[in-house]
Amino acid sequence: MADVLLEGRDLTKHYPISHGLLQRTVGWVRAVDGVSFTIERGKTLSLVGESGAGKTTTAKAVLLLERLTSGSILFEGKDLQRFSKSQLKTEYRPRVQAVQQNPWSSMNPRMRVRDIIAEPLVVNTRQSKKEVRSRVLELLAQVGIGADCAGHYPHEFSGGQRQRIAVARALALNPSLVVLDEPVSALDVSIRAQIMNLLKDLQAQYNLSYLVIAHNLATVRYMSHSVAIMYMGQIVEYGDAEELFERPLHPYTRALMSASLLTLPGDEDQGIKQIILSGEMPSPLNPPTGCRFHTRCIEARDVCSKVEPELIVKGKQRVRCHHVVYRRP
Amino acid sequence: MSKIILQVEGLHTVFFTRQGVVKAVDGVSFYVREGETFGIVGESGCGKTVTGLSILRLLPEPAGRIVGGKIILDGKNLLELSKKEMREYRGSMISMILQDPMTSLNPVYTIGDQIAESVRLHQNLKDDAVEKEVISALRLLKIPAPEMRLHDYPFQMSGGMRQRVVGAIAMSCHPRLLIADEPTTALDATIQAQYIALFKDVQRQTNVAIVFITHDFGVVAQMCHRVGVMYAGKIVETATTRELFKAPRHPYTSALINSVPRLDRKDNRLYSIEGQPPSMTDLPRGCRFFPRCSVARDVCREQEPGEVDIGGEHSVSCWRVS
Repeated sequence: MADVLLEGRDLTKHYPISHGLLQRTVGWVRAVDGVSFTIERGKTLSLVGESGAGKTTTAKAVLLLERLTSGSILFEGKDLQRFSKSQLKTEYRPRVQAVQQNPWSSMNPRMRVRDIIAEPLVVNTRQSKKEVRSRVLELLAQVGIGADCAGHYPHEFSGGQRQRIAVARALALNPSLVVLDEPVSALDVSIRAQIMNLLKDLQAQYNLSYLVIAHNLATVRYMSHSVAIMYMGQIVEYGDAEELFERPLHPYTRALMSASLLTLPGDEDQGIKQIILSGEMPSPLNPPTGCRFHTRCIEARDVCSKVEPELIVKGKQRVRCHHVVYRRP
Repeated sequence: MSKIILQVEGLHTVFFTRQGVVKAVDGVSFYVREGETFGIVGESGCGKTVTGLSILRLLPEPAGRIVGGKIILDGKNLLELSKKEMREYRGSMISMILQDPMTSLNPVYTIGDQIAESVRLHQNLKDDAVEKEVISALRLLKIPAPEMRLHDYPFQMSGGMRQRVVGAIAMSCHPRLLIADEPTTALDATIQAQYIALFKDVQRQTNVAIVFITHDFGVVAQMCHRVGVMYAGKIVETATTRELFKAPRHPYTSALINSVPRLDRKDNRLYSIEGQPPSMTDLPRGCRFFPRCSVARDVCREQEPGEVDIGGEHSVSCWRVS
């Protein structure tokens, strides 16, 4: 039996659209619409999708930065709605930490690195100054930053080093889960591998769970144990990372994979053809009837525009599509 | 083989800063043929954007200056043109697409007005002829219902459509050379694939030569015919795209290719290049990649390697190859 750390059940977040003089609610944007997932201890779940897919809102809900419209989050089997405010502060928030996408904006430029890393400790624990200092040095060493840099300011570091500092800050309280929002996309190509390897090493060392938000599928394949592909607020395909990338079932997953496969000039002559989707993601104010992807799907048929597909179990995967077929992209 | 339209020879661009002289582009040479896309790929600070700006002579003066080399476009050295002549070249002979369409479009003018602006500047046309040109530019970039959309403001369009408008402005005066600086970086994956396919099509129709500046090897593979890999102000390797991926010869190129995760296989551990690119005010004496190179020798520390042509349009600057 898998050791589940966190479970999201039917998470939903609808934003009201207000209009007119009285700011009456005239409609709802269904940013996240019935999303369920589990994160196992020591494993990585990635949420993948294009902008507007709802992946960031989902992650914010897990971080309690966004109040859900409905649905529940279970942490170690306990429903967060049953936690009191003080319980959340002592038992949940310190154990779920985050690393943001852009290390140029996630740190206060006026604070020294040692204070940036110490802040979660100062806020959440009653450690003495001496204990805090030694913990900061330990964290710096873990992420590969020299102790002599502790007194420096963020601007004195490169992007990769800053991201290491952000990771050190996230680890300060020994969390169980770290939410990584596009952790390498702001970094240079040669630095990305360093950070991804560091994150993997730390995961193995501390049995950390990661919830990764990413749009780059190759990065996701390298980092994840399981993957959820999102489109317009819904999960369209979900499952074990290896299964999913070897046998993508949903047409959207296949199109995404095709867009990020390395195709060289001349490959087209050898019959490797890219799937290019037509059109763009429709407005979330007015989602299409039936399957939300049918307006761009190359396999869409009549039924797709009429009946909304359910997320059905197919082997080890779950997929939301009327025509589940096995084929490599 | 089609004719060479752009030839850059030994381009040196420097910036005068308080920390000293920064040699942002330090002896860069390459050529682009008609109807061809030449990619310049590299990490931030390697000089790829400055190379693009140098070709357009749009450096922030007086801090930035081209101090050596030739930029020959269709037989004419751009560095010998007067400011006025250069201004006529920009837009009509060479044009540019930048990364973020939201900052390159003016939010208070309709897109039709913005395309018409460059048409009016470079072609002496009557109003209805201008509108025709605008519509044909929008049509070239496959913007649906161009007669309607030309009255739209940028905010009424999606990111992908806006970037098409930027492309329409760039192509409106039928340039011979297009410089595209990270044009797909701000776009979503499926929209990026659309844009690349679209631009390949535009190129087939117009035979425009493209200098494509990017940090993304996946985009390079899809878009470019030949590629130059830049590191710390120099092009360290130039090859056809296929050759570059199949048989890279410079250690930096192969390390970069190996450090990018692949979608079509499971990597257990990625190769990672240790350290960071050197500071441009304090470059190593010998080969610039030497401090991070896993196969460096003594000579690499002491002397800079020269460019060696190894045949088949493939050249490398590395002591291991010479």
